[in-house]
Amino acid sequence: MNQPAPITLAELREIQLFAGLTLDGYRWLLPQAEIYSLESLLDIDQEVRTPHGIGAVGFRGEWWPVYCLSGKMQVLRHIPDSRRTCVLLDNHADRLGLICDQVETIAADQRLLELPACMKLPGSPLQALALLNDRLGCVTTTEHLAALLAVYAENSHGC
Amino acid sequence: MAVESSWESNAWVLALGDQLYAAVGERELIHLIEKPILLEVPLSPYYCQQVVLWNDRLLPAMDLSAWLQGQRENASDWKLAAVVAYQPAPGIMPNYGVLLLAGIPERLRVADTQACYLPTHPDGWRELALSCFRRGEDAIPILDIPHIFTGGLLTS
Repeated sequence: MNQPAPITLAELREIQLFAGLTLDGYRWLLPQAEIYSLESLLDIDQEVRTPHGIGAVGFRGEWWPVYCLSGKMQVLRHIPDSRRTCVLLDNHADRLGLICDQVETIAADQRLLELPACMKLPGSPLQALALLNDRLGCVTTTEHLAALLAVYAENSHGC
Repeated sequence: MAVESSWESNAWVLALGDQLYAAVGERELIHLIEKPILLEVPLSPYYCQQVVLWNDRLLPAMDLSAWLQGQRENASDWKLAAVVAYQPAPGIMPNYGVLLLAGIPERLRVADTQACYLPTHPDGWRELALSCFRRGEDAIPILDIPHIFTGGLLTS
């Protein structure tokens, strides 16, 4: 699969609000505009299977595949006890649900910093870093998350 | 102050890990951080999984002992980190990176006559080093800092 183009720091700095998704203590930041809704974990139908998915949420007449990822973006087969909510992400091209510990809105006045060149692994959804007080935020987009999930699906088909 | 001759220059010898030593040029090492606060970055190479906040910059923290051993040992409690400066390309402003250290750097003068071959073990030195000099029984590789911090290790 073709990898999406990296998003530049200038493009990221135009974003007014981010959503901070906590996964195992790591905080992942996505553009707030890509958050479609928050759903209860009880609304996930685990009988609806998708590759590497944990189930699906029926929303507005469609099934949204739902994934459970670790803080390091590894696919989890079971939902950890710490997870509390399901975020539905929509960028008008990709639609998916992501199970999170916590979701919060983060104003764009946090400091976005470029990922150092020596840390840029090919295919990584990590697009930039953000300093949130003394903590680090990892910036990504729905497009880059969807591309990562597609790679996982391709690799499992190839096995 | 000693004047550098064309066949001698100053260098810092860095302890990268247990019995792993390498050198950088005198002007490449610009600052030492005691007990660095390391922030973990997910989805990063095994030898560079952390960053250090320094002067409003996030600097990648390289564990070159992990690179040389081909794996990261259990997270080490690094007591010292060296901030190094490099120019990514001619005419570009300097950039900075961090080398995680196992001990205090040692300054010394190196003469061209001390040049020697790179150690054959571990075999990763060829990727990290520009050249090498002899100090007593030891061969001390000279690190190629721009190559290391501009992503040169990602493709090797």
